[in-house]
Amino acid sequence: MLCTNCKSKEAVLHYKQIVNGKKSEQHLCAECANALGYTGNGESLFDIGSILNDFISMPSAHTVNKTVARCPICSTTYDEFKRTGLLGCDKCYDEFEAIVEASLAQIQPSTTHKGSLCGEAGEKIRKENELNELKENLKKAIIDERYEDAAVLRDRIKKMEEKENG
Amino acid sequence: MAKWYDDSGFQSDIVLSTRVRLARNIKDIPFPRKMTDEAASAVVDMVEQSLSTMNMGFSRTDILSVSPLEREQLVEKRFISPNLARQKKPSAVFISGDESVSIMVNEEDHIRMQAIFAGFECQKAYEVISNVDSYMAKNLNYAVHQKYGYLTSCLTNVGTGIRISFMMHLPAICKAQVADSLFSAMGKLGVTVRGMYGEGSKASGYLFQISNQMTLGVNEKEITDRLNDVVNQLIAKERELRSALHKREGLSLEDKIMRSAGILKTSRLLSTKEMLTLFSNVRFGISLGLIDDIEPRVLNALMVETSPAHLAYGRDNPAERDAERARMVRTRIGG
Repeated sequence: MLCTNCKSKEAVLHYKQIVNGKKSEQHLCAECANALGYTGNGESLFDIGSILNDFISMPSAHTVNKTVARCPICSTTYDEFKRTGLLGCDKCYDEFEAIVEASLAQIQPSTTHKGSLCGEAGEKIRKENELNELKENLKKAIIDERYEDAAVLRDRIKKMEEKENG
Repeated sequence: MAKWYDDSGFQSDIVLSTRVRLARNIKDIPFPRKMTDEAASAVVDMVEQSLSTMNMGFSRTDILSVSPLEREQLVEKRFISPNLARQKKPSAVFISGDESVSIMVNEEDHIRMQAIFAGFECQKAYEVISNVDSYMAKNLNYAVHQKYGYLTSCLTNVGTGIRISFMMHLPAICKAQVADSLFSAMGKLGVTVRGMYGEGSKASGYLFQISNQMTLGVNEKEITDRLNDVVNQLIAKERELRSALHKREGLSLEDKIMRSAGILKTSRLLSTKEMLTLFSNVRFGISLGLIDDIEPRVLNALMVETSPAHLAYGRDNPAERDAERARMVRTRIGG
């Protein structure tokens, strides 16, 4: 296959990109790949960041709000996260929420934790999540006109909330 | 409880060891690569404090205060990762009295705790490490997220923070040339396969590390069950192919196995690579009932005791190490 850029040399680098569901393909010879910046200067193509990048279609930079492109706590930047695949602190998860969510959707079976949570903080979150789930189920029951189920759910929610408030 | 590298355990002719690791971070402190040296020291002290009343006899080793050689030995015993051995910030490892639990502080995450046992012991390893985790959670404020669970530096660990890995010996699967297709099918099930010593299916000594890929959106039990299921199928396949190979090759296979045992008992120079290949043949021989005077436990121990950093004291060149390795193998296996 010929290089899609210079159309004269044999393509050695095949680059597929999916941005917001739009697929694009590039087939480049070594010179064009270097000239267009597809290969790093002596950097390994196989660092974690680039591997993550390969199968995570990161939303392009302009879709990320520029005001939160740097974490105020640890000063990790959006580009840094993209390059290394690593976050700098627990607050980064909120600062880069959109990209974190999109990346997780690609590499994990779902983006909601289903496992155990120990300690005080974990217990609190577990209870909140349980309460939210019951409320969701209550909504569904009302929409489906399953009023008997709804009554049971309502009582359980009430009981939980009373317990929570002392 | 015996040390993982000096024990055998369940299904030990195929599963050499089981490790369960949990990744945790402390709330409001930047992850290790972004933290200051002061914060790093403080985290090490916080972890020590959280373990002080636990009766597992943890001992603390500060990475920066031990020699590169000692760090390498900790890597060979699999108490720390090569990354922690290279850490420039204050960091440490806490090792339990029976050496079944080690807790790395300030590797990629603040806390990486693992339980490691010989053989196929997923349940036991999970229970042990999960106890340590609950105990530490009483004294430490973990970074947890309402939606994502335990937060980690890399998104490949977030959620449960769990990584279960088995060291498996799969000579018959490799020789039957079904390894590549089997491993890629396992990849689709979210199971990663890596060569333990060397790369891909060309791993020395046919040793592989099998581990889970996913950590979020599935709970610990689902992850454990899925992986156990895959490992059980691998064990069954390996056994089936071993007996097929024995039937097909008969005497020529037995000859190769018995000669391997002979070399181990008599050689004067032994490189790591050759030793691993011979060990693989001998393990095969033990599982076929051809060899009964060598215990798998001894092979496991020798793999650690004869690794380069363990042999390096006062031996500067590889030939001296090969001679010492051969001597140790002869002594332990008997001639």
